[in-house]
Amino acid sequence: MIQRLLPSLSLVILFVGLSLASPYFLTKTNLASVVRQTAVINVMALGMTMVIIAGGIDLSVGAILAMAGLLGTMAMERGYPIPAGIAIGILVGLFWGLINGLLITRLNIAPFIVTLGTLGIVRGLTLIISNGLPVHRIPQEFSYLGEGNLLGVPFVLWILVVCAAVTHFLLEHTRLGRYAFAIGSNPEAALYAGIPVAFHTTAVYAICGLLTGLAGMIEASRLMTGQPTAGQGYELQVIAAVVIGGGSLRGGEGSVIGTLIGAFIMGLLSNGSDLLGISPYLQQAIIGAVIILAVTVDELRKRKLAR
Amino acid sequence: MLLELEGIQKRFGGVVALRRGDLRANAGEVHLLLGENGAGKSTLMKIVAGMVQPDGGVMRWQGRAVSFRRPSEAAAIGIAMVHQESLLAPHLTVAENIFLGREDRRALGWVNRRKMTEQAARLIEEHHFPLQADWRVERLSPAGKQLVEICRAIWHGSSLLIFDEPTSSLSEAETREVFRIVRTLRDRNIGVIYITHRLEELRAVGDRVTILRDGETVHTGALAELSTEEIIRHMVGRELEAVYHREPLPPGEELLRVEGLNRRGVLHDISFHLRAGEIVGLAGLVGAGRTELCRVLFGLDPADGGRIWVAGKEVHIRSPREAVAAGLALIPEDRQRNGLAVLLPVAHNLTHARLEAVSPRGILDHSRERRAAAELIARLRIRAESWRQLAGKLSGGNQQKVVVGKWLFSRARVFLFDEPARGIDVGAKGEVFRIMDELARSGAALLMVSSELPELIQVADRILVMRQGRLVAELPRGSTQEEIMRHAMLEQEASIREPGS
Repeated sequence: MIQRLLPSLSLVILFVGLSLASPYFLTKTNLASVVRQTAVINVMALGMTMVIIAGGIDLSVGAILAMAGLLGTMAMERGYPIPAGIAIGILVGLFWGLINGLLITRLNIAPFIVTLGTLGIVRGLTLIISNGLPVHRIPQEFSYLGEGNLLGVPFVLWILVVCAAVTHFLLEHTRLGRYAFAIGSNPEAALYAGIPVAFHTTAVYAICGLLTGLAGMIEASRLMTGQPTAGQGYELQVIAAVVIGGGSLRGGEGSVIGTLIGAFIMGLLSNGSDLLGISPYLQQAIIGAVIILAVTVDELRKRKLAR
Repeated sequence: MLLELEGIQKRFGGVVALRRGDLRANAGEVHLLLGENGAGKSTLMKIVAGMVQPDGGVMRWQGRAVSFRRPSEAAAIGIAMVHQESLLAPHLTVAENIFLGREDRRALGWVNRRKMTEQAARLIEEHHFPLQADWRVERLSPAGKQLVEICRAIWHGSSLLIFDEPTSSLSEAETREVFRIVRTLRDRNIGVIYITHRLEELRAVGDRVTILRDGETVHTGALAELSTEEIIRHMVGRELEAVYHREPLPPGEELLRVEGLNRRGVLHDISFHLRAGEIVGLAGLVGAGRTELCRVLFGLDPADGGRIWVAGKEVHIRSPREAVAAGLALIPEDRQRNGLAVLLPVAHNLTHARLEAVSPRGILDHSRERRAAAELIARLRIRAESWRQLAGKLSGGNQQKVVVGKWLFSRARVFLFDEPARGIDVGAKGEVFRIMDELARSGAALLMVSSELPELIQVADRILVMRQGRLVAELPRGSTQEEIMRHAMLEQEASIREPGS
């Protein structure tokens, strides 16, 4: 039981510890910035949670984020209204998610390979489209998405809450979610039970792509640029958030709550290191160690269960 | 005396696997280790092979107290285990597997492949094993893989070989081959410990017997002094349940008709029918095409020709989904792999095949699902703590019931049972057959694939026999094992290689 609660417990300890260690931690400005910083990873991690539960993995999310942000801001640069730009970014994400899903299910190739391939394709296309140059001429109001406040809290927090609630509902209360667990837990058995495995696998990647597209627009709004090189290495942070939160790369396990906790643990670690003046180089090492620790604890718990 | 175990104890977490494991194994003797599922046989042998460390008790090897921290230490003094599931490297050849880890190396660490293959070939020939040194292990049947493990043990000079249910995935002919090999080993003064579930095997190989019940040794002695009834009494601690007997029903309407079903190289011109209320047995050696027939019927493999009718209506089944929709159900041989999501709750497993029924417009109705699950759990007497319990935590018999429950929920009418009683203990077997009988009584048609002839004879209304991809005979109730075997084996040698490889 204690092991199951460990992620949330560590989050609380981290929170209390940082409150005591730094006078700046518990200020509204700092907490808001933690929320803003983690929002992008968090939104992507929700989609990745579904993918990982369904026994897959998506390495292309960082690249998709960059292309979504780039095409969305390019549309705004050409005079499209802001909502249309955001919609374009989301659709770009959805499109690539669909492509991932279709390649995985139609060609029957391992998700790791397919998404490693699309990572390269999408990143390359993004650089070609942008000529390597970022988009800067973006309407000022667009910054509200990533930097604005609604009812006294960051607007992105509302977006995150809505996305998390929807993902949670999908996973726990719909046929799609149940099939995702079934497919991830045992793809053979799912096939034998007559579950439309290919359709639902594709759907899960599409949703992951859609959320990544949204995250791409949030990232663009925070930077106020359409950056073709945005999101490099995000896929690993996103996967780490899911795994720290109890998701299993073997499939069939994971939850929205766990993923949120995982993402915030990583956010607090990096924020805390900044506040305490720990070098960003060391930060990376700390986060790496936390990933291994989290998975080890989870693995021990499962082994105990298996006996 | 080779090996002596006294009062071996082992617990896993809160579960006691062994209370008092005693056993004495001699050289040149086949020692049977018997007991129901969960009696502690495998744990005791894993301790002997150094795979698990005991919590208490004494282990003596040739009179000297020993303890193993890892399998290599047991292997070093001459104890080898032939596993239920093969632990070979599938992409390597037979010879490479035999020498794995002890390759004959030349200068600079080059492996002398030719010499290795020659030595392996000589070893194989000496024991008359139906193997070739240069075959790739992944292409071998389960029996062939076991032979490779045996070769490995012999080559490494083991003086005690442990067989953990060696015949559970073998056909009759292959089983006889294993027996022959076990006897050869014994004649060469090697000690053999042989774990089995199959009561009918005992007399063919055993000299002495040790029976475990609930983690305790309850009997040790010469096999000749024990009757089969006594053995079963020791195992289950109660009188032998009457041999399963099924009252045949008057068959009803035709639920499945298959005509001229073909799949190149696998199935040839298969025609048969099943009626409501019938349990039809499907006998044959491993590789005869029984599982393949089930796979084609269920849409897992495409057919090259032939027609199928379900309840009088012609159907075209191209995927399991279409098979399920047509009212077919497959209870696969490997339940853990193909039938269950072990990490998910029992209730979820039960509703997977017709989730639409509890998820109107795609939204799950949890209370309706729980009610449906509770009903099935009660109807099938599934021993689960609650609907929430993970399917993987149930015993083999109860897992089997969950798989059946899934198809009851999907309203299937034609059930394809592939080895329904494999790997489950004597008591649970009776219950599985009872459930099959109830299915038949409720108007379903059942096809039962089994390699256990007594089982088929007791349960089936008539028996179809397959040989090399063809249906070669249909035998009425009351046929003998000999008759079935004659049809199944005619013109066929024990095939160690899978067909089509």
